[in-house]
Amino acid sequence: MRRDFLKLCALTGLGFACPGGVTSLLRAAVKEEPPYEGPFYLVFNASGGWDTTYLMDPKGINEMNRLYKEGDILTKGAHKFAPTDKHKTGGMSNEEFYAEFGGELLTFNGLDYSVNNHSPGARYMATGKLDSLAYPTFAALVAAAKGPTCPLSFLTFGNYSATGNVVAMSRVPYLPSLQKIANADHQDGNLRSPYHDDFALARIEKALAEQREMRSALPLLPRQERAESMLYAAQVNSKTMARVTPHIPKDVPKERLAQQAEIALASFKAGVCVSANLSIGQFDSHANNDRDQMKLIPELLAGIAYTLRRAEALKIRDRLVVVMQSEMGRTPTYNKGDGKDHWSIGSVMFLGPGIKGNRVIGATDDRQFGVNLNPATLALDKDKGLKVRPEHIHEALREYAGIATHPHAKKFPLGLKETEKLKGLWG
Amino acid sequence: MTLIFRSTICALAALVGFATMLRAAELKPYSGSGCSVVDDYFINEVWAKVAAESCLKCHKAGGDAEDSKLVLLDPARLTGARRTEAMQANRAAFAAMAQTKEGDSTRLILKSTGKVKHGGKEAVKPDSTGQRILAEFTRLVNAPDAAALAKASANAEKNAPPFFSGVAMLDDRRLLRRVTLQLAARLPTDAEMNAVTSQGTKAMPAILDALLKEDAFFDRLREGFNDIFLTLGVDGNPDQSVLSYEHFEKTRGWYQNTNLNKEFLEPIKDEKERRQAGYQLANDYRKALLAEPMKLIEHIVRHDRPFTEIVTADYFMVSPYGARGYGIFDEVKDRFKDPKDPFEFIPVKLKALTGRSKDQNQDSATGFYPHAGLLSAFQYLTRYPTTETNRNRQRARVYFLHFLGVDVLELAARVGDAATVSAKFENPTMQASECVVCHKTIDPIAGLFQDYWRFADMGVYGKRKGGWFTDMFAPGYEGEDMPASERWRALQWLGERTAKDPRFAVAMVEHAYYILSGRKVLLPPKDLEDPRFAAKRRAYAEQRKQVEAIATRFAANGFNFKQVLKDWVMTDFYRADGLATAATNPARRAELDDLGVVRMLAPEQVERKVAAIFGKGWGRLKHGDGGLDMLYGGIDSKEVTERAADPSGAMGAIQRILANDVACRQTALDFSRAPSDRILFPHIEPDVLPGSAEADAQIRRAIVHLHQRVLGQFDKPESPEVERTFQLFAGIVSDAAGKKGFEKQEIYSCRQNLVQPVPDPNYTVRAWRAVVTYLLRRQEFLYE
Repeated sequence: MRRDFLKLCALTGLGFACPGGVTSLLRAAVKEEPPYEGPFYLVFNASGGWDTTYLMDPKGINEMNRLYKEGDILTKGAHKFAPTDKHKTGGMSNEEFYAEFGGELLTFNGLDYSVNNHSPGARYMATGKLDSLAYPTFAALVAAAKGPTCPLSFLTFGNYSATGNVVAMSRVPYLPSLQKIANADHQDGNLRSPYHDDFALARIEKALAEQREMRSALPLLPRQERAESMLYAAQVNSKTMARVTPHIPKDVPKERLAQQAEIALASFKAGVCVSANLSIGQFDSHANNDRDQMKLIPELLAGIAYTLRRAEALKIRDRLVVVMQSEMGRTPTYNKGDGKDHWSIGSVMFLGPGIKGNRVIGATDDRQFGVNLNPATLALDKDKGLKVRPEHIHEALREYAGIATHPHAKKFPLGLKETEKLKGLWG
Repeated sequence: MTLIFRSTICALAALVGFATMLRAAELKPYSGSGCSVVDDYFINEVWAKVAAESCLKCHKAGGDAEDSKLVLLDPARLTGARRTEAMQANRAAFAAMAQTKEGDSTRLILKSTGKVKHGGKEAVKPDSTGQRILAEFTRLVNAPDAAALAKASANAEKNAPPFFSGVAMLDDRRLLRRVTLQLAARLPTDAEMNAVTSQGTKAMPAILDALLKEDAFFDRLREGFNDIFLTLGVDGNPDQSVLSYEHFEKTRGWYQNTNLNKEFLEPIKDEKERRQAGYQLANDYRKALLAEPMKLIEHIVRHDRPFTEIVTADYFMVSPYGARGYGIFDEVKDRFKDPKDPFEFIPVKLKALTGRSKDQNQDSATGFYPHAGLLSAFQYLTRYPTTETNRNRQRARVYFLHFLGVDVLELAARVGDAATVSAKFENPTMQASECVVCHKTIDPIAGLFQDYWRFADMGVYGKRKGGWFTDMFAPGYEGEDMPASERWRALQWLGERTAKDPRFAVAMVEHAYYILSGRKVLLPPKDLEDPRFAAKRRAYAEQRKQVEAIATRFAANGFNFKQVLKDWVMTDFYRADGLATAATNPARRAELDDLGVVRMLAPEQVERKVAAIFGKGWGRLKHGDGGLDMLYGGIDSKEVTERAADPSGAMGAIQRILANDVACRQTALDFSRAPSDRILFPHIEPDVLPGSAEADAQIRRAIVHLHQRVLGQFDKPESPEVERTFQLFAGIVSDAAGKKGFEKQEIYSCRQNLVQPVPDPNYTVRAWRAVVTYLLRRQEFLYE
């Protein structure tokens, strides 16, 4: 039995040490996994490149913004933010967002993406690695490390979603589809109409387990090992999909982020999911920057607020970690089409358990260039500090999630020296 | 001739000219030995790990450093002897720099590390592996004893076993099954199986030739190429987004016009029926419009035309419905076999576009639209639109990706301070070396699309007011400017050059690999400090040799795409199916990491496989049927464009549902047929109960048949696999016998549509259903 267990362990998790504790895998093979209890990770992507000067890094000078001046900038605790209440078209204003969440919000300004193209920027921001296509996104990595046996361990609704082959990604297009696949061994999901009698189903499962054991003893190609262990785990773990059903709301919201959030939250609540990439696009405001950003930033904030309130109602808010990011910023000047083009400096925001809020780390200067930072003190240090790039943020995220030394994380190192790591980012 | 020079030529010929050195019929890639032992150091170390990655981007004709003293030749753009000569020249250029002393160092070291003026600044970091490689090359080039070079290179190659050593290959029968299922959505015929059994792989070429003429193959071909080009993902209704108001105002909405649609709708008297028929008419019309680009690919392959026509075809494919939309139906209707068939396609030349106003008329020296295969297809241009600020650069990017296999953005170089660069230069894309390195390649291609300057929902063709941008590199192709006289046919000009570029053939071979394996070819490893670098590099190099070998043959044989598929399926890469002994050495595991097709079937493929095995598809994984296909990792060609490679728990649930449901529909149904008509159980009846030697043998034979049909396994009755299935069947029958009062017939939903009633007094029908369920959940069914 132990040999089988170790074999499975070596295979699932794609050839590395068994993530999430070695016993989890064996249990997965023989009985239903207990629900994953959290923390849950949500990464909100403002796809296309948000204008940070209309949110968390307001300027109002040098004609960077046409909708407000420097004197109009608002504050909430340590936060400074752009006034949007009079300009938004729907959604949630900055004023409302900061009033409700500013106290628990951590903002990082002056992030240097190094590039200003969508594809590499999105990849870099999602993984912390610019020059590799192999690295998993943070959401995938944390899912693989913390909940490899969850049937919907890593949910994605768009944006860069590479998994590094450490976990399967799940796309759930809309809520009712979850209902369709719960109770897979029953006709139309009806618990009173099983396809097989219990004793027959038990024998099917036994035969599959034996067959899997036999295959795992054979010399296989690495791809075969991965595929077969993932397939077996997927089918075994799929039984826990039934837990989702009670948490699927009767009414599906109309807003696109809220729809994504409901799927993720139902999955979190059911204990079948660790992380989710949520995304809304069209931030790429090369033309009519102010019009587009005043539509989209409030939509994004409203989606985040909706998610947090629903998490509160579902009683998982205290276990919810939220990352808010984009793949780039927008230029400090307007182009001839009243738009703003790509800018390689931006911001990222966080909130969640263990993250000390009401703080702003890092900065941009009055021309929207990033200001270097002392990683040990997090104090601005223009001359001797370092440019904080996505790998710095990701290293900190890995440490925050407790996965920095996990074998999966080690397989995808971010290459930072100890002296380059951001100390005390989370407070 | 010096030893080094002779040896260098020998080595270069071995590496670079491997494709031409192959015996074409065998297509075995070069695997070492022979004369290649001498200057492999330059090829395998300097070129592969440093020069190709760090130097070539700028130091080439058309590159940002084309005016420098070091101008390299890109071997990827050359073939045969010219490629060999290019590598000789590259090696000589590096050697010259390595021999030029500057102070205590050499020009090569100082330039590469940015210690003297260098546009690329610090291309190689001090104390990095790259710098050590250049230092060693410098030492070897300057070594008084040329034998040191030979020794160093020989060491690099010794101890390397053949790449496929110890890898087990798919046997001929299973290879045949994989090919027929994958390419023609069917099981092998008895005749094909007999041919392969008796002749081995010698029978495959003839089988493949026939297979690649079947309609199902062309369905798969279109599907596979749509996974790459994604032209089905055009936004909005194609009669409005593909056909512009400007040029097709009066015809694109023909299906709504009572004068134009009357032959379809007027005969239908019932209003409700007529309305439904109208909806169907619109749907078919839109579907036919979207299908045109992939139908072009089908046409080219079906008629064995040069595959270069995907960028050069001076025609497009149109259906009777589409022809009405373009306003050319009367011209071409006599060429259709059935002018009312929405999905019959013929090749047609479109006349130059005529606008609602004269200034929107299309320039044309011939009077025809300048078709250039997919490049000029309205659907392709609509799927990849431009914006005022994007300036066709997205189109240029996908052009490189789709037709030359170059992803200009995926591994974009890090810029030291991108924001400063953006602010420092008035026009960074033409002035800042960090930007020029890519834009000098991309922007000329973008300029070739200049007359397709209409934005979302505004059509495709149209000139930019005021002319094309002057703050971009001028329209052209890899250093060659487009003559002004060619502007009206710029995309044809591009297509002609694309077809001649060796990278085109390679890219198409890579696409074929994607269609067959579901994943992209390997990229070269980048991290020289990675302890597995050498292993990953070898895996990449071996696969690359195979790609280039097939590409060479593809180009030499008139670009017949079927030949590419035939070549791929006969390679060890396609046939690798296991190991003789477990690979425990980490480096060897890294070499083998990507080997083997091992592809989870896409939803459409699962449907086809079910249909091939059971005679009828499942139906619930069809696109648009409630979203299960998307949940099972499918694509919509718009937002979701990459198929899931691994199963999530949600997909595991769908696999369970599929196995349960298909077994439910098919098991009793098959028993209800006459034995001669049965698919699953031709040689056994439900009244055969385990327990006697004769009955057990009969059951085992039935299981052997099921294993072969459902799994493609050729197991013996006494094999452990058959024994396991037997125990499953017998165990369930035995368990049931111990239960009191079970129903003597199948459950209600599993006894529908039977040919005749099938009683189940002994629970055997349900036990067989459990067996089928078990088999459908197996990897051998769900994967390729």
